Amino acid sequence: MDGIDIGSLVRDDAIHQSVYTDPKIFDLEVERIFRRVWIYIGHESEVKEPGDFQSLDLFGQPIVMVRQRDQSIKVLFNRCGHRGAKVVNEPCGNAHTFRCCYHGWAFKLDGALAGVPQREDYPADVDLDDPARGMPSLPRVANYRGFVFASFSPTGQSLAEWLGPATMGIDELIACSPEEKIDLSGGVHRYRYRGNWKHQFENLADTYHPNAAHDSTVDEDGMQFKRRPGSTGGRAPFYDKDGMPLVSKIGVWAFPNGHTSEGSMFSSVSQTGGVWEEYRAALAARHGAEKADDILKQKRHSLTIYPSVDILIAQHAVRIVRPIAADLTEVLVYPVRMVGAPPQVFRDIVKYLNITHSAGSFVQTDDLEAFRRCQIGQSAEGSPWCLIARGHRSDVTDNNGVMHGDRASEIGQRNQHKVWLSLMNVR
Amino acid sequence: MDFKAPDLRAVEAFLYEEVRLLDDREFEKWSDLFTDDGIYWVPAKPDQKDPYDHVSLFFDDKEIRETRIKRLRHPKIHVQIPHSRTIHLVSNVTILEKGLAPADFVTRSNFIMMEDRLGDERRIYGGRYTHHLRVVDGAVRMIQKRVDLTDCDGIYPALTLPF
Ligand code: FES
Ligand SMILES: [Fe+2]
Repeated sequence: MDGIDIGSLVRDDAIHQSVYTDPKIFDLEVERIFRRVWIYIGHESEVKEPGDFQSLDLFGQPIVMVRQRDQSIKVLFNRCGHRGAKVVNEPCGNAHTFRCCYHGWAFKLDGALAGVPQREDYPADVDLDDPARGMPSLPRVANYRGFVFASFSPTGQSLAEWLGPATMGIDELIACSPEEKIDLSGGVHRYRYRGNWKHQFENLADTYHPNAAHDSTVDEDGMQFKRRPGSTGGRAPFYDKDGMPLVSKIGVWAFPNGHTSEGSMFSSVSQTGGVWEEYRAALAARHGAEKADDILKQKRHSLTIYPSVDILIAQHAVRIVRPIAADLTEVLVYPVRMVGAPPQVFRDIVKYLNITHSAGSFVQTDDLEAFRRCQIGQSAEGSPWCLIARGHRSDVTDNNGVMHGDRASEIGQRNQHKVWLSLMNVR
Repeated sequence: MDFKAPDLRAVEAFLYEEVRLLDDREFEKWSDLFTDDGIYWVPAKPDQKDPYDHVSLFFDDKEIRETRIKRLRHPKIHVQIPHSRTIHLVSNVTILEKGLAPADFVTRSNFIMMEDRLGDERRIYGGRYTHHLRVVDGAVRMIQKRVDLTDCDGIYPALTLPF
C-alpha cells in the first residue's frame, strides 16, 4: 500500500505499534491475511440437519453456513442475486429454501436460484440461470474432522497444508470424547473490546501476563479461585516455591503458519474420582487405559490456529476471534460437549466456562482491560516499538517444524508476527 | 423488613433496597440477601430453561458470588480501576404467584441499569427481573434473582457488576 513500508514495522524481537492502531493497516490485513488464508467458520454440530443454518459476519460481509441434503456443508455469501439484499436474517434456524424479503426471489440450500416471481417479464437475454444470480459459495470450503474452514481466495495452500501439525490440537480435543465426537450446541459467550485483534491473538500464547493481569483472581494465600471441576479442581496454587507463577513455567510452542500452543499446569495429574471414573472407563473402552489416563491429564492448555480460532483443550471450548476494525474485535467462546461422556462432565464445563470465559468472567475481563489499555497506550508517540524479545534466540526445535520456547517465552508472538509479515509482504 | 404475606409496597421496598446495595457498592450485604442455596442467574439466551446445558452470562451460587465480590474488592482488579458507578431503576413490579412453599413467592419487574466508568463508553442495560423470594425468620431472602436482559444473546463488553 502506498506510503506504508510493511517490512519496516516488524523486527525479529519488536513490533511497531502502528500495526495495531492504523486503520489502513487493518484494511490491508483484511485483504492480505483474512481474505487469503483459511478462516474457521463453525463446527458441523451447529448445523446437524439438512437445512440447518448459522449466519455470521466476516470482515463486514454477511455469510451463511448451511447443511445440505447430501450432508455436506456449504458456506455462502448471504446476498440476494437480484438487487443484493441480505437474504438470511436470523442468526440460526432451519430452512427448506431461503427467500429474499424484498422481491421474493428464492434460493436452494446450495445457493442456486430456485424461484423468481413474475419471471416472464425478464427479457430473453437476461440469464437467470447464471450462478451469479444465486447466493455464491465462498471460493474454498474445507472441513477438518467437523471444523469447517473457508477461504475467500480461490488459490493458495490447502487446509491440510495451512494447518500442518497444528491439527493435533483438534485431534486432542476430539479424543476427549469417548465416541471421538464433539458437539458445540451449548450456546456461546460473546464479548467485544475496543482493541486490535492481534492483542487477543498474542494473549492466547502469553504465559507471561497472568501474574500481573490476573492478580485479582489470587487470594492472599497464593491460591487461585476454583476454576475447574474434579480432583484437580478446587482452589489451586498460583505460585511455585520460588515465587514464580506456575503458568509462567509451562512453555509455549510455535507451529508453522503462525499457530501456537501453551502447555498446561495440570499435565502431570490425571482427573480422578466421582464422575471422572465413569468418564475414564468410557475413554478407556475407546482408547485403552493408558491413553485414557493421558487424556484426563490435560497436557495442553490450548492450541491457537492463526488467525481465527483457538482450541481450548484443557477447558473443552472453542474460541473464535473476529476482527471488526483496527480498534474493535469480537470474541466468541463455545463450550464443547464430549459425546459419550457422562452428562455431568458437560454441566461442569458450562459452569466453569461461565466464570473463566464469559463477558462477565473472573479471567477474561482483566485481559479485555489490558487489550483496551494497549490500544490507548499504543497511540502515544515517543517510543513506538513493542518488545517481544523474551527467550529470543533460545527457541529450540521440537519436531515437525514446531519450535519450543521455555517458560514465559514470547516465541508465540514472534511466530504470529513472522507469518503476519510474510503474508502482508505479498501483494 | 418484616412481612409474611407479599404486599406490593413491601415487595417494591425490598427490590429498591436490593439494587440500592449494588449502587452503593455494599456487595457483601447484597450477597447476604440470598438464601444459602440462592442463585444469581443471567441467562445468555431468551427463555433459557437450563443453566447447565447452555452458557449463561452469570450463574452464581454462593461460592462463585463470594469469589466475585472478593475480586471486586481486590486492589488489582484492573477492569475496575477506576470502578464503575451505576444506577439501577426498578419498575412495573408485579407479584406473579405464590411460590411452592407457603412462604415463597415470585415477583416480576422491569429494570434499567446505567453504568459509567471513567474513560469508557456509557452503558445502558435493560430487561426483566424475576425474583424468587422466601421469608426466612421474618426477613425476605432471594432464592433466585433471574435477570433476562433484552439483549441477552448479544455481544458484551467486559461485565463486572451485577445487574
Ligand atoms: S433484492 Fe432480493 S428479491 Fe429483490
Ligand atoms: Fe489472560
